[in-house]
Amino acid sequence: MFGNTLFLLSAVLTLAGAFAVVYSKNLMHACIYLLASLFGVAGLYACLGADFLAATQLVVYAGGVVILMLFAIMLTGGTGNKVNRYGLEKIPSMGNKKTFMIAGFTAVVTALVLAKITYSVFAAKTVATTGFNSPSVADIGTALATDHILAFEISSVLLLGALIGAAIISRPRKEIHD
Amino acid sequence: MNSTVFSYFLQSNELSNLIASSSKFLGFDTTSLFAFIIFAIFAGIIVGVMATIGGLGTYAERKISADLQMRMGPNRVGPFGLLQFLADGVKMILKEDIVTSQADKFTFNLAPVLCMVGVFATLAVVPYSSGFMMADLNVGIFYLVGMASLVGVGVFLGGYASNSKWSMLGGMRGASQIISYEIPATITIISIVLLAGGLSMKTLINGQGGAPHEWYIFHNPFAFVGFFVFFISALAETNRAPFDLPEAESELVSGYNTEYTGMKFGLFALAEYIEVFVVCGVAVALFLGGYKVPFDLGSGAILVEKLGMDGMIAQNIGQILELGAFFTKTLALYYVVIWVRWTLPRIRVDQLMTLCWKYLTPIAIFNLLGCAVWMYAFNGKSIFTLIFSAAASHGGH
Amino acid sequence: MSTLNLDVYMPVVILIALALLVAGGSLFLGSLIRPHNPNKLKETAYECGEEPVGNAWANFNIRFYVIALIFIIFDVESALMFPVAAVFKRFNEIGLGGVLLGSIFTFVLILVSGLVYCWKKGDLDWVKSYTQAPPTLGKKD
Repeated sequence: MFGNTLFLLSAVLTLAGAFAVVYSKNLMHACIYLLASLFGVAGLYACLGADFLAATQLVVYAGGVVILMLFAIMLTGGTGNKVNRYGLEKIPSMGNKKTFMIAGFTAVVTALVLAKITYSVFAAKTVATTGFNSPSVADIGTALATDHILAFEISSVLLLGALIGAAIISRPRKEIHD
Repeated sequence: MNSTVFSYFLQSNELSNLIASSSKFLGFDTTSLFAFIIFAIFAGIIVGVMATIGGLGTYAERKISADLQMRMGPNRVGPFGLLQFLADGVKMILKEDIVTSQADKFTFNLAPVLCMVGVFATLAVVPYSSGFMMADLNVGIFYLVGMASLVGVGVFLGGYASNSKWSMLGGMRGASQIISYEIPATITIISIVLLAGGLSMKTLINGQGGAPHEWYIFHNPFAFVGFFVFFISALAETNRAPFDLPEAESELVSGYNTEYTGMKFGLFALAEYIEVFVVCGVAVALFLGGYKVPFDLGSGAILVEKLGMDGMIAQNIGQILELGAFFTKTLALYYVVIWVRWTLPRIRVDQLMTLCWKYLTPIAIFNLLGCAVWMYAFNGKSIFTLIFSAAASHGGH
Repeated sequence: MSTLNLDVYMPVVILIALALLVAGGSLFLGSLIRPHNPNKLKETAYECGEEPVGNAWANFNIRFYVIALIFIIFDVESALMFPVAAVFKRFNEIGLGGVLLGSIFTFVLILVSGLVYCWKKGDLDWVKSYTQAPPTLGKKD
């Protein structure tokens, strides 16, 4: 009973947040709606029993990535409403015929692929009766330490690369010679 | 492994009978309904207690600062000025709520609410006692870290929304301070998780005992240093002096708080004081033995043996003892937090960042590796266990 | 493990709902009893008695962004460390502690080297020091 309520709340939060992000005219507000949407995703993970994943979502996304995006928006000063003097919305790349054709083609292909993947789910009349084995933190830890230890170490190398790349990109260019 | 307040009360026969009879009466399994009712009651109690502690925290701050500065502090409203926080609360509600014309209205109204949500959500996993903990999530401490960083978003949005240069600067500094100091705090928490072997608050506390030599702070020298690293980082995360640059009263007018009036300012302040309490509670749970009472009185087993009391009543008495232990230790740390505020001067923003990234983070990482090596070398025994066993083996010769 | 008991998340949802209720309720209650007399001067932002000049939403210094980037990396690292740290005790008891210790060391030391790199290159300095680009005030070549 509560599981259904939790799922409903999380799903509504995710979808409403996502729609609001797309339709919002203000970039800062869009970031806030993204925060709400990420909260909803964390709730969905909790519904599936992946409690560690839900907590990681909260820590990394809601607590880190959203702040990073907010700082980036402040840095680039992109908070003005993009409206021209007639009050019409000015979107930088409004698009021409080529844009719309490629976008339409991509949408059709994606829809076909998704339909093919989910067809088997809708065609099956029976509900799966296997037991739930939601991995606990200990299971994830054991897996990371034994089966996937290479992935664990390589992820640290990936993070190192990201750190150095971010530091290099955001370093101010030193114009010594003019 | 997930135990909650409800599962604690399920042990009593009366509640189980009540659930069984109401299930028969209503036709569906009413366990969830009763769980909801008990959770709602407890949430109400905890919110009430926390709001009072937040209010009394403001009173305590003014009284203790007065004591440190050799003056009187509030002593008009109520006996010894105890009702001062109520008067302040009423004053804040009655003040006019001004939203400046160039402010971003939606974000302006959202920021204090976001801070409150972040702090209240952490109240669910604070270990008040082994039975009265609201929800002992499997990922308790990790969830708490996540929710505490939501307050940083609230601070930043508060500073941004006001569209005043003081607030903007205060908000940016506040957010960068909160996120920077999260790293040493989280790494220190990981070193304690190493010692305890789990993420849930109960596992962390059950690894410790009631007497001081069984606490994690005295487990090994790395954990001892880790306590101070955690305490300093937690002070900085809650924007308390000497790290209160975001609301620096003498520098930035009031930082991100500048344009907030009345109850919204009150919500920011309440969120800050409750967050200080939660952070002190977490420090107590991680390092100072949590709710454990010496001589294992908290489980009520001794009362059942010695006095032959009914199991549930003995357990309730044990719970009350554990509550007392937890609150005593947390309020002692709260006093230290207030004491530090009125003793040390505020540090500059570049000193703040240097302290975090160049001192606390390397020390925290060193503690993490040290704890790991200690666990491996001595198989997880604390330094006192080693000393006692060495003394015992020598005495046996 | 075959049934999923989601009741444990009920306190979280209840407390979040309570927070919204307390915040919204106190603000609503206040709106009924507090005065509301806006005038133009009251609603301008505070700037020590002067008229506020310009928008505060101007471009800001890049050091905030660099700190946020470094924070994200270390946040993800700590999120990955949590489950491994949680099972370390168990591994120790069955004798595989040394192997896990080695992998923890490798993981942490790789990221420490990243921190050392940022330190040496001056990304962690709040005030950029002039050792890299000395101001060329009187020397033009």
